[in-house]
Amino acid sequence: MLVARYTLRAHRAAWLLGAGEDADDVVQEAFVKAFRSLPKFRAGEPYAPWLLSIVANETKNLLRSRRRRHALALRLSALEPDAATPDSPFDEAAAGERRARLLAAVNALPDRERQALVCRYFLDLSEAETAQVLQWPLGSVKSRTSRALGRLRGLVVPEDQGRVFHG
Amino acid sequence: MAEPSGPRRAPQWRDALVSELRALSPRLDVPPAGKQDAIVRQRLEAGQHPEPRPRSSARWRARMLYPRWRAALVVALTMVALAVAIPQSRAVIAHVLRLDGVELRQAPGPSPAPHPSLPGEQQMPLGQARQRVAFPILVPAKLGRPTAVTVSDSGRVATLIYDRTPYGQVRLDEFDGHLDQVYFEKFIQVGSATEVRVDGTKGLWVSGPQEVVYVRSDGMIVQASARLTTGSTLIWGTPRVVLRLEGGFTKAAALAVAASAR
Repeated sequence: MLVARYTLRAHRAAWLLGAGEDADDVVQEAFVKAFRSLPKFRAGEPYAPWLLSIVANETKNLLRSRRRRHALALRLSALEPDAATPDSPFDEAAAGERRARLLAAVNALPDRERQALVCRYFLDLSEAETAQVLQWPLGSVKSRTSRALGRLRGLVVPEDQGRVFHG
Repeated sequence: MAEPSGPRRAPQWRDALVSELRALSPRLDVPPAGKQDAIVRQRLEAGQHPEPRPRSSARWRARMLYPRWRAALVVALTMVALAVAIPQSRAVIAHVLRLDGVELRQAPGPSPAPHPSLPGEQQMPLGQARQRVAFPILVPAKLGRPTAVTVSDSGRVATLIYDRTPYGQVRLDEFDGHLDQVYFEKFIQVGSATEVRVDGTKGLWVSGPQEVVYVRSDGMIVQASARLTTGSTLIWGTPRVVLRLEGGFTKAAALAVAASAR
């Protein structure tokens, strides 16, 4: 039951942190380890970040063992959610291009900065949870997130263009 | 829109960038997760170890370990129960619907806004709404024609809004999916909820607005917070849809409205 409940979240974390096709294996390993080390888990602590820290660690080990220098690049889904329907096809195309550019910039970030953004904005974790999941000091989460955002600012919004954001 | 004049303050570009990143999140390509519960259970039962444990070769040791994981499982289940039972601040729930990964929290008390909008909420005529969602939208005959119909979260949620009824403002949210039985049982044990039967299926009557946790048709467990600030809630489900009726009902009136849903 607990496994079923957390599988999707754990899998998403493994995939986005770069495990690629091995994400399922990473998740399975993480669950087994999580159950075995439950005695170390403090009651009252949120379960998800604790499990995700095991997932993140397994992903790191996997990348190291494969000698993959970089995590796999993130891609946009072919099936766009139809939720936010823009005003015109032109806007839609422009928005799609903009998203692709932003994601390419995220992919080009140094690994740790990218991990910080993945945890904060793609896995929707708080700074404290990110620190726990990636096993970094809180200060590193803040500084790496900040640095990453700074780089993206330069890449996505060139100062001289000053494009208007929607939203 | 006009170009912003003058240099923008730092927090502004940062906020804009962060919201763009967050908007990217649901559009990322993540393949479906494999089913893990059976394999994990098997591995735990078999007592396999991910790494060779030098001292675990002795049989008696392995046998000692077996009951230990069972205890661990019980701990895990209790934790979920606790997570459900401990009321948490509504502030911890960042979105009305969290699309990935759901924390199980009961959050009693009124929601912050009377009509927090769901992701991609769009108003449309009922006929069009029926085409936009994958499940049959049920309409309670007793309430007449809804004032407004909205579809949100990429067609996973349909909402019927009734501005004037004998029960004040009424809102019926319909979610594509079914109730999580396990969670449902736990919910019933918590505080103000009482179990009822709607059309032969299990339902839940709760005084005051409540969260709903349901299993979406793609298997994801989703939490949806109450949307009206006042009134009581009736939650029930069919195998395809989870329904939540909110308004100033008595229990009997809510049940009558629910029973008239076709």
